Amino acid sequence: MPILTKRLNKTSLGLYIHVPFCRSKCQYCDFYSLACKDDKLMDGYLDAVCAHIKEAGALAPGYKVDTIYFGGGTPSFFGADGLAIILTTIRRNFDVDNNAEITFECNPDSVSDKLLHRLRAEGFNRVSLGIQTDDDEILKKLGRPHTYAQAVTAYQRIRKAGFRNVSVDLMYGLPGQTLRTWQETLDNVLKLLPEHISCYGLKVEEGTPLWDYKEAANLPDDDLQADMYLAAVELLRSRGYRQYEISNFCRKGQYSRHNMKYWTGGEYLGFGPSASSDFAGKRFTLTRDIQTYIQGIRDGGEVMEDVQEIPLRERAGEYLMLRLRTQQGIAADEYERLFLLPFQPLVKVLANHRSLGYVGVNDQGRWYLTPKGYLISNTIISDLLMAQDESEPIRRLF
Amino acid sequence: MTLPYESFYEVYRMTELSKIRNFSIIAHIDHGKSTLADRLLEECDAIDQRIRAEQMLDSMELEKERGITIKATAATLTYTADDGETYALNLIDTPGHVDFNYEVSRSLAACEGAILVVDASQGVEAQTLANTYLAIDAGLEVLPVINKIDLPSARPAEVKAEVEDIIGIPAEDSPEISAKNGINIHSVLEMIVRDVPAPTGDRNAPLQALIFDSQYDSYRGVIVYTRIKQGTVKPGMDIKMMATGATYKVVEVGNMSPTGLIPRDALGAGEVGYITASIKTVADTQVGDTITGLENPASEPLPGYRPVQPMVFSGVYPADGAKYQDLREALEKLKLNDASMSYELESSIALGFGFRCGFLGLLHMEIIQERLEREYNLDLITTAPNVVYRVTKTSGETMMVYTPLDYPDPMEIQLAEEPFAKVNLIAPQEYVGNIMELCQQRRGEFKDMVYLDANRVELHYEMPLNEIIYDFFDALKSRTRGYGSLDYELIGYRPSKLVKLDILLNGDIVDALSFILFADNAYPRARKICEKLKENIPRAQFEIPIQAAIGGKIIARETIKALRKDVLAKCYGGDITRKKKLLEKQKEGKKRMRTFGTVSVPSEAFMAVLKLDED
Repeated sequence: MPILTKRLNKTSLGLYIHVPFCRSKCQYCDFYSLACKDDKLMDGYLDAVCAHIKEAGALAPGYKVDTIYFGGGTPSFFGADGLAIILTTIRRNFDVDNNAEITFECNPDSVSDKLLHRLRAEGFNRVSLGIQTDDDEILKKLGRPHTYAQAVTAYQRIRKAGFRNVSVDLMYGLPGQTLRTWQETLDNVLKLLPEHISCYGLKVEEGTPLWDYKEAANLPDDDLQADMYLAAVELLRSRGYRQYEISNFCRKGQYSRHNMKYWTGGEYLGFGPSASSDFAGKRFTLTRDIQTYIQGIRDGGEVMEDVQEIPLRERAGEYLMLRLRTQQGIAADEYERLFLLPFQPLVKVLANHRSLGYVGVNDQGRWYLTPKGYLISNTIISDLLMAQDESEPIRRLF
Repeated sequence: MTLPYESFYEVYRMTELSKIRNFSIIAHIDHGKSTLADRLLEECDAIDQRIRAEQMLDSMELEKERGITIKATAATLTYTADDGETYALNLIDTPGHVDFNYEVSRSLAACEGAILVVDASQGVEAQTLANTYLAIDAGLEVLPVINKIDLPSARPAEVKAEVEDIIGIPAEDSPEISAKNGINIHSVLEMIVRDVPAPTGDRNAPLQALIFDSQYDSYRGVIVYTRIKQGTVKPGMDIKMMATGATYKVVEVGNMSPTGLIPRDALGAGEVGYITASIKTVADTQVGDTITGLENPASEPLPGYRPVQPMVFSGVYPADGAKYQDLREALEKLKLNDASMSYELESSIALGFGFRCGFLGLLHMEIIQERLEREYNLDLITTAPNVVYRVTKTSGETMMVYTPLDYPDPMEIQLAEEPFAKVNLIAPQEYVGNIMELCQQRRGEFKDMVYLDANRVELHYEMPLNEIIYDFFDALKSRTRGYGSLDYELIGYRPSKLVKLDILLNGDIVDALSFILFADNAYPRARKICEKLKENIPRAQFEIPIQAAIGGKIIARETIKALRKDVLAKCYGGDITRKKKLLEKQKEGKKRMRTFGTVSVPSEAFMAVLKLDED
């Protein structure tokens, strides 16, 4: 059962396609992706994803697909033909809304005019470009196979190809970065006038190459990262970008409709190794191994790694954890209606954090985190989860 | 050689004094005491093979894990010796730690002989000596046994010489055994029959029965373990505890076997057995007390009784304040079975309701804590242990201070005293320098030093008990690569320069972190504690000053910087499950924290303060 976005007619659905191929692996990346151009493997992947989409489409007749997101990996590196075939397969097997948001991620080193024109023609209407920083030295250190100049060129090509909804990814907390260089990066990138900007604090994940030399990497400490974050929020706000989620900013209401589903309890289906779904009350993740995925789809074997039926009580925790990432925040009536739990115990915690400037509340009674609050959102959310644990369900319905 | 159980009664009913042998096994820790006890039981076939487990007499799970005996236990073995006679051998297993010295002395008082187990490679150690002296003081025949002769490093001849030289008892003919591999066990049994004196006593005299242990059983009430010194005890008889004055009617008497209790018609002088009398708590059956008859009572109790006296006190609080009642019930139940622990209601501003608990020593304290946590499923916060201080106020009033909460204002103190102990340390001579340095750090006053042999040295110190109870044993072990051994004994109170150190978090005193210490140690210790707390208290949304103060004067300070960043930058479809787990974990961590004013302190922080490692 969809929790928040139930429509009168069909239920809306997001599709995520994980394209696990890259030119090279970045030092900090812990997504599932292979740094190779193996045509046979890519073909096997393409067949499997398409077969998987056919299988799933038959199971979701009551849904209307209104967002499709090709992430990775580097979808642009996979090539326009493959992406086009997948999108066509989706259109044939799902009911895709005419106004669906269809995004693909790309990197500056793998966007040609040809690819862009082709994808625009196929109906892709949103592009997410990974720029990360304007400092070529840092780009090199991070193992990214492009320069900032290439990124600017790529951006211009994307515009030229007719995309009117472009997002760029930036990172702060990078090796050797200072508050000043970060602000310069933002200034430079803002000159491009993207509709959407994501700013991610670098998190050093275990198992990545960076993890092994993090002590020597000259990484900004938590306090500096916090300053960088607040500086970005302030600068972007002053340039007309609304912060609609912890790490996401947009102009003119052009938020990522697909990503918003993750934070508002929408339903989505994932395809490709390591992709996750939240569908029909269950959350599940596909295998992180491409061969297992290809063979599993072909032979009808197991491709799931983790299937969980999420009870309502747990959904109530997810609501807090995910909703509070967004500017919409949370509201008493919505919460009590959805989860039959009292909101009052949470108010105590929220009010306490509000007095310290971490939480705000608007005229409609929606509670949200301030930028300062976002920075310590784990602390606030875990406080709320604790208060939630102690609350008894509202009994009036039972 | 062995008899079936049916004939057990027969043997017993007719057991003459000359056919009884009462003995203990004494040893330094890890020299193989419990293993030997098991072998003796097996050799006499007292243990049903089906229920045989390693170290039968050590019945608590904790005892098995730690490899030590905490409670004394006893068993009667039936043994037919090479001379063709059948003997009743009463084995009384004694606790094996310096914390339980008094209990050991009472167990020994129930015996006529003691088997001294000495490790064939380690030789004589501090507790070998301490326990031997206890046995000799109790007038026991001490019979050395050289154990672990199968080890490649065994040097039985040298160790025998050591026993003769250091302890001064003949060891030339001592059995050389391996308890672990069952080598020469028979010779130990023969030695017991031959060399342990038979008990004496008049079975018609007024009853004098020594309590050497007791155990609570939810069906029978307290089961008193006793050695009948004079007279006879039977079911139906009215008895009286001579120290506590409590009276009861005997329900049952009998013998302990490793597999259970075996009722008998009567227990007479010279015998070891149990008595039940619908006794509700072990506090009424104090170790060392004498049981006599209400009619025809003995004129004197047996010598050596001493009321139990906890030496170390610490605040025990439920980590979750709501669990206070559960903690109370758990302590009540534990107390039924452990008269040496004391507890009293205590309330701390910081921790709410809890208990001031008294223990025989730190090991005892750890055992109780572990049992509370394991057997009663409690999460505890324990405050720093302290000894009992004696303070004479300017008003002339003398008070015993069991908790820092009660420590008077410095202005009101005329004289402060702390308990001192005599400490015996044994180690190879190359570590003497290290030991001396350690003892000096711990305010030890050097008394003398004796060479036990060409290689090993025994040092005597007098030292404040407070310096011993924290981590002295660990420090000794690390400075002697594990070769050092320790034994101590309380010798009384001495004047001392004492201060109470308070810890302030965000400007408020956390009373549960206060403690009393020697003034000269205050500065380094205060700094260390502030550092430890800084490491263990999570950052909050504001800066938290940690201060240590004596009487309002700040002597150390650290600052926990405000939390600025605790955020998951990315959270898309594939991240949700993982990040949910992370937040759940964070939440659970918070549940285990105590909030003092505005500062949350995890229970680990209290632990960290307890374990200030000096290096």
